[in-house]
Amino acid sequence: MVQTVAWVVSLVFILAIAVVFGFVAIKSTQKQDYEPIVKKWYKIRKVYGTFVVILMIVVMVYTLRELPFNQPVYSEGNEPVIVDVEAFQFGWKISEKEFDVGQSVEFHVTTADATHGFGIYDEEMNLIAQTQAMPEYTNVVYITFDEPGTYKILCLEYCGLAHHVMMDQIVVK
Amino acid sequence: MAITHKYTSLKSRDDKVVTQMIISGAVVIVGMIFGVLMLASQGGLIELSAASFYQFLTIHGTAMIGSAALATSAIMWYFLSHYVDLSKKIFNLNLVLFLIGVVMTIIGIFSFEYASAWTFLYPLPALSGGAWGTTGALLYLGGMLVLGVGFLLLYIDTGRAIIKKYGSLGKGLGWDVISGKKAEKDAPPTTVVASTMVTIVNISALTAGATVLIVNMISVVNPAFTFNPLLAKNLTYAFGHIFANATIYMAVIAVYEILSRYTGRPWKANKPFLIAWTMSTLFTMIVYPHHLLMDSVMPKWILILGQILSYANGLPVLVITAYGALMIVYKSGIKWDMASSLIFLSMFGWTAGVVPALVDSAIVVNHVMHNTKWVPGHFHMYMGLGVIAMMFGFMYFLAKNDSQLKTNGLDKFAFILYTLSMFGVCVSFLVSGAISTPRRFATHLPEWMGPAQVGAVTGIFVVIGILIFALHFVRYIFGRNKTSINSTTQETEVS
Repeated sequence: MVQTVAWVVSLVFILAIAVVFGFVAIKSTQKQDYEPIVKKWYKIRKVYGTFVVILMIVVMVYTLRELPFNQPVYSEGNEPVIVDVEAFQFGWKISEKEFDVGQSVEFHVTTADATHGFGIYDEEMNLIAQTQAMPEYTNVVYITFDEPGTYKILCLEYCGLAHHVMMDQIVVK
Repeated sequence: MAITHKYTSLKSRDDKVVTQMIISGAVVIVGMIFGVLMLASQGGLIELSAASFYQFLTIHGTAMIGSAALATSAIMWYFLSHYVDLSKKIFNLNLVLFLIGVVMTIIGIFSFEYASAWTFLYPLPALSGGAWGTTGALLYLGGMLVLGVGFLLLYIDTGRAIIKKYGSLGKGLGWDVISGKKAEKDAPPTTVVASTMVTIVNISALTAGATVLIVNMISVVNPAFTFNPLLAKNLTYAFGHIFANATIYMAVIAVYEILSRYTGRPWKANKPFLIAWTMSTLFTMIVYPHHLLMDSVMPKWILILGQILSYANGLPVLVITAYGALMIVYKSGIKWDMASSLIFLSMFGWTAGVVPALVDSAIVVNHVMHNTKWVPGHFHMYMGLGVIAMMFGFMYFLAKNDSQLKTNGLDKFAFILYTLSMFGVCVSFLVSGAISTPRRFATHLPEWMGPAQVGAVTGIFVVIGILIFALHFVRYIFGRNKTSINSTTQETEVS
């Protein structure tokens, strides 16, 4: 799950940064001339800087391989189900609410009034996909449901007084 | 060979700056209390009506960003005024306009029940679903506009003063040093470089902000007037992202000035430093599309660039600023006190906060974490442990520089309490984000409540810690020695 990876990676790096700051704080009570420190640590910075740049490029390339905006290539005979979604204060008009496992679905999302967020949650209430519902525009979510169940649709962009109760559900058989 | 470094003399008793810090500190505390109340409500510990929750949400965001901007612009002004000739009238005018703006927004929110959040996405201000009317919207948006105009005037003045002294904003960023026309030793001071960057990015941000505020105001008065919602969204985030981000770029001036004084080690604006600040200037202005990664109608290349630039924007912090702070402190024999401790903590908060921000800026991650509580998780880290720590570190520095007031065990206790509890608040948000909890929800499902409860309780400790910091500043205001100037021109030899 992407969220778990994001959390673990963040935690590891935050703790690593805490260790570095803690180490420097402990060492700060000693006194040494600055010039040799500058010389030595500027050299190390080159290595560290290069490492950070390479790490970022690798992560960037890896994470940009598949983007949620890209329309999937559908196999012959597997036409996607186009679902028109219109958000309004404070609910959803969804043209179709029942799908089959393995069926390709495209949610075409817009809004009748303010900006809303279209978030799809699985049965364990994990967010699995989302887009924004913006006036005058139609954003698309491409999804193929792998598991049967009742999925919830939550508004994920603050849209007014009843934002938190703006929910609906779809069923995957 | 000895490295000799001259520090500028620091003025004692700068009443304008002190007044601005007091007001900012008071607004921060009030903003935090609203934050705790919201978390307590989400955690099911107290009951708030949805209307109250969203009003609190609106005042919390507005107050925290506004006060952070006010405090950090005072920090920038305080140090920059020692290098260039700034207008005191404009500084005071900004404060007056800030206060007028704050009063207007408060009346709009609490008397007219306006609650669009501080991001006020068009056309929400005009479409309340019956929650607020035209007057409330105009008071809030007008208040924000008045407040923004004050800041705009301030940055126009800092730009004017920098151009007058250094010739151009490019030279303020040290482009003549980067290009080799000028020697590194003649580079502008770090404070001037940072101030130039902030001047450029905030004039851009405030212009975008003023535009979208006016558009919203017209649409509130005349709903027949329409505007392109995608352009409005771009303008809103071009304003909000840059303006909020710039607070840390202003506050970091305190890190440069205070850490180098405490360690007796110069923080030189060498070529890598200058290149890093030019990178930050550029990236901070154009990185905001990472707020629109869930709008597939945006040109795809802009969204991909949004991720790439977000990563690139982390580099100057991770490789230059944070690294520089660590180098300057390492084996420096620094005498730790409240000012230096908070300043050092702030660099940790900023650096650590960059991590979840970078993680979320990956489009595939953002796809399942956008507008969850992960987002406030990362910005509470670099605002709470970063900007606020810099702000109070500067306050302790002012108090030490300007009076005989000593810190005591209570201050040290507050430092530990604040650090741990603010970290707790940030982690509670990040955990909430990891379990898909949406942000800006007046109520939570039972499975989302646990982290919110932890956030509320740790938030109370954060407020207690901040109140103790503020107490020291209050003692300083009432007891400062009017004649003492501890920090005159200093010359430090590092051999």
